[in-house]
Amino acid sequence: MKAHRVGAIVLRQVYEARHNLDRFTDALYWPVIDVLLWGFMSVYLGHRDGAKPGFASFLLGTAILWGVFRNFQRDVAVGFLSEIWARNLIGLFSTPLSVSEYVSGLIIVNLLKAAAGMVVAGLVAWIFYSFDIFPLLPRLLPHLGVLMVFALAVGILVTGLIFRYSTRIQSLSWSITGLLMPFSCVFYPLDALPRSMRPIALALPTTHAFEGMRLVMSGGPIGLPDLVAGYGLDALYLALATVAFTRLFQATRSRGLLVKLE
Amino acid sequence: MLLEVSALTKDFGDFRALDAVSFSVGAGEIVGLLGPNGAGKSTTVHALLGFILPTSGTIRLFGMDPLKHREAVFARVNLISPYVGFPPRLTVFENLLVYARLYGLKNGRETIRALLGVLGIEDLRDTPFSQLSSGEATRVGLCKAFLNDPDFLVLDEPLANLDPHAALQVRARLIEMQRQRGTAVLYTSHNMAQVEELCDRVIFLDRGRIIAQGTPIEVTREVLGEDRPAPALREVFLSLGGRRPRESA
Repeated sequence: MKAHRVGAIVLRQVYEARHNLDRFTDALYWPVIDVLLWGFMSVYLGHRDGAKPGFASFLLGTAILWGVFRNFQRDVAVGFLSEIWARNLIGLFSTPLSVSEYVSGLIIVNLLKAAAGMVVAGLVAWIFYSFDIFPLLPRLLPHLGVLMVFALAVGILVTGLIFRYSTRIQSLSWSITGLLMPFSCVFYPLDALPRSMRPIALALPTTHAFEGMRLVMSGGPIGLPDLVAGYGLDALYLALATVAFTRLFQATRSRGLLVKLE
Repeated sequence: MLLEVSALTKDFGDFRALDAVSFSVGAGEIVGLLGPNGAGKSTTVHALLGFILPTSGTIRLFGMDPLKHREAVFARVNLISPYVGFPPRLTVFENLLVYARLYGLKNGRETIRALLGVLGIEDLRDTPFSQLSSGEATRVGLCKAFLNDPDFLVLDEPLANLDPHAALQVRARLIEMQRQRGTAVLYTSHNMAQVEELCDRVIFLDRGRIIAQGTPIEVTREVLGEDRPAPALREVFLSLGGRRPRESA
């Protein structure tokens, strides 16, 4: 892996962000809208009789962190899609650039975007709802790491599927997290799910990340069992996604589909 | 030999797109890869560049398997093709600078400025790619193709959208690279006059097979079966097209 080629991909995405309003919208607009929406909801629910103390903070905090997960996964896949839309893949991969260098460049850019989105969303939550997520960040970060690694695994799988099945299935890039959301226990604890669905939830790193985050936000310590389960599942899914990507990429080249992607 | 292709075969299901294609390209040679639509030219080019995995056969570029030695091989190769686009919102200079970084050029900005000058498009350096005419876009593609001073160039219909003056400049540049650096070129085109003017050798493909190869005059004489005084590749092309219905009957 060569740093100058990873840097070239970062540069390409930075130029894109400079000229393309969509990138700004993805990075900042939706996180802010999410926080405003969930902020109003949490204020309303927090004032109802019987609301648990800190309920509004839970909702806002998890809304911010779910946004980071969703945006990172989507942006990895959309970054790749933008090369297909521009018919730029053949040009890029006729250079010494490797797939791992390309993906590394995308990861760096989208980590920065996710961080920017989180900071802006956190500021909005602080200004409008007096919810300050920043002091919690050092203890939330290990759980956030679980989310990011899983987002990367999902992004890699979606990218492999787009290689193989072309842009027919490109909507997976921005919709697959919606499928995961009900089972990820983002806004409610695992106990709230019907018993039959809990095994699905427990098989997702996101569930363990949000369970751990709720513990931190309620003033508890870093949830070690959740972290171990989260990173263990992450390692499994990342390995599976990498194997699936490699096979899908090979099948794409074998069928001559790489040059026909559009 | 700089490029050696041996018994290259590619099947897409029941369809054989390439059937035991073998040829070579030496340093400093400009070789035309010709044939009607569907003959297998693009499949050959894409297999050379690793975009298509062959069913069987071998490809050696600079003595290496390009699939196993990507970095070493593709640092010395470049390509212009109708399949290659550029991000439309990036300016010409930004697009080329990304490629300069990918090739690890230390003097990327200067190289780009010089190439923009050679191809007469300095004034377009800050223009978004989406606003270029097809001829201007082709020149940007040529800038990219020359960026890394390649030892082996794959030019797929490189002059199709250029006016005669620009086409002349590009031909001059190619010949200069060939003479000064020994750059080898694999050239596909349907413009037989350009091919006769530029190519040292030509390879005619039809339905995945090589049906003739040699210098333009050798191929002309072999295919037409006449002792012609000068190459007539257009006639060769038309005669091959004329044979197809009879062959398939």
